[in-house]
Amino acid sequence: MSAVWYYVFTLVFFLFDYFILAMGLNIQYGETGILNFAYFAFVAVGAYVTGAVSLPNSVGTGQHYILGWGIPFPFNLLLGGIATSLLAVLLAFITLRRLRTDYLAMVLISSSLILYDICNNFVPLFNGADGLYNVPPPFASALKLTTNSFIPFFAAVTGVIALLMWFVMSRITRSPLGRTFRAIRDDDAVAAALGKNVFRSQLKSMVIGSFYAGIGGGLIIQFAGSLNPSAWLPGETFVVFAVIIVGGVGNNVGLLVGSLLVETLLVHLTQFLPAIPGHPSLIEYIDAMLIGVFLMVMLWFRPQGVVPERPRQSATMVRYLGKRGRGKNEAPIEVDVPDVALNDGSLP
Amino acid sequence: MSDVTPMDPTSEPASEPTGDTPSMAVSALRCVGLNKAFQGVHAVNGATFDVPQNQITALIGPNGAGKTTVVNILSGSMKCDSGTEFLGDDDVTNMESYEIARLGLMRTFQLSRELGGLTVLENLLVAPKLQPGESLFNVFFRPGSVRRAEKENVERALELLGTYGLNAVRDNRARELSGGQKKLLEIARAVMASPRILLLDEPMAGVNPALIERIGGYILDLKAQGVTVLMVEHNLNVVEKICDHVIVLAEGRTLATGRLAELRANKEVVRAYLGEVIDARTTS
Repeated sequence: MSAVWYYVFTLVFFLFDYFILAMGLNIQYGETGILNFAYFAFVAVGAYVTGAVSLPNSVGTGQHYILGWGIPFPFNLLLGGIATSLLAVLLAFITLRRLRTDYLAMVLISSSLILYDICNNFVPLFNGADGLYNVPPPFASALKLTTNSFIPFFAAVTGVIALLMWFVMSRITRSPLGRTFRAIRDDDAVAAALGKNVFRSQLKSMVIGSFYAGIGGGLIIQFAGSLNPSAWLPGETFVVFAVIIVGGVGNNVGLLVGSLLVETLLVHLTQFLPAIPGHPSLIEYIDAMLIGVFLMVMLWFRPQGVVPERPRQSATMVRYLGKRGRGKNEAPIEVDVPDVALNDGSLP
Repeated sequence: MSDVTPMDPTSEPASEPTGDTPSMAVSALRCVGLNKAFQGVHAVNGATFDVPQNQITALIGPNGAGKTTVVNILSGSMKCDSGTEFLGDDDVTNMESYEIARLGLMRTFQLSRELGGLTVLENLLVAPKLQPGESLFNVFFRPGSVRRAEKENVERALELLGTYGLNAVRDNRARELSGGQKKLLEIARAVMASPRILLLDEPMAGVNPALIERIGGYILDLKAQGVTVLMVEHNLNVVEKICDHVIVLAEGRTLATGRLAELRANKEVVRAYLGEVIDARTTS
């Protein structure tokens, strides 16, 4: 396989993986309004746990890490997701109970820095600054995959997982639960006055989103075979924010578009450009600036994103509810309720 | 709701405010000695009153009398420093607002607070309490019950939107509505939650006369359906027309309770709130 295809499939992998990550952050920020600046720390924890449970016992490997259970794919991935969700419960109890908006964001970003410092310096946990490596690639030996054939294979696996998770996420966002999340995003005091337990709902949203972060992170370490703290600097969170802001907050299709525009084209495609002689990191810096400029241009001219959130139309709702009800002696919903005469002049 | 609950004689306020409390009526909501201070300012200073069941009660008083603070405390969005609140027979003092809401007390806000990103229909659909579809488990494993509840809610919401004249804008985002429409949406949303007691914080503020008539009509309809209403209101014509009972609040205390006509004879009330001029005009 030529090198071009190697690049292309790497890009495809990141497209799907960031789609998953964007869905996770979107339910927290886009749907529920939780400004989770610790998001990439959750991604990293998911990656580490996925890696650490799939690696063999650490004795004799030259690395130091906990767990080491040799659990195969995809069960290691699930454990990564579950571990991240548990971390979300812990952090939610510390932060969400009392804090809102800016204060919550500040505490979350501090939490991510603390997690970063622990992982970076406490070697027995996840091998410190060296990070985990030699994580066994899934199915590689069973399917006799080479380094080159593993990449398109795993990009496809990630695509299937992303599709599945898209399906699950759409079910959640279209459900009454998703509607309650959006009510909390728009005005949590009103939601509470309507009998919604705001903390409990935010906790649910944090857990769901963090599960997605964990799965996305687990896929990264399975794809790359390694992960160290330099790969998840706190600034990485903002790339995921850029993905959902550019693509369209609150719209799952928009998240895929955002992942394509920001993550695939801006972040990763540029990594394959040849370095400018004499300035080895220049492209990386220009890249970071470009993302910033792109984000500003988007916020200025199209703040709702490329594919904005669409209000759910009553006709769609009625059609959906009516269709499933057929044959069960359920009468169709009557939509054409006449309006009261608007004779007071204040209403259009 | 139909059974008559005897009032607890021990909780009668020691200093009975002037004017007669309708002693025959069962109180749906009662607060005794509510206190709330904001850094030394006593916004609410021993407010004590009963809201009789299935009647429309007005809460009036000069600006800064603590009316909105009382509504905030009663609905749970603010904690009081001392005092007790009873919903029927239940002590609900300083409960979380979602708990009070689940017990059937709904409130609206002085400045309409629509859920701007949701459509008008969705604003109503948020309101029903404890929907099956709000559980993650049900969404994936009991889609049937989620769908049935949803269908019922959609039907009821469309009916309410028809009643409140908001059907034409049902698919608009709530933030796109006019001021009057937002007022209507706010009430419709609270009604969608099937309240036993409705606290309306200035439902007529900033609303033109014709719409005031309409909103007044809706409130009377709610009473006919068995809902108890407590409304903060400055428009005395409205109070006169639709309210059965009036509570006057001044400087955080219950100054008087009774019918508006009786209160007009009360010197203290006239001085604190009604004013000589307004009084002369409205009684003529």
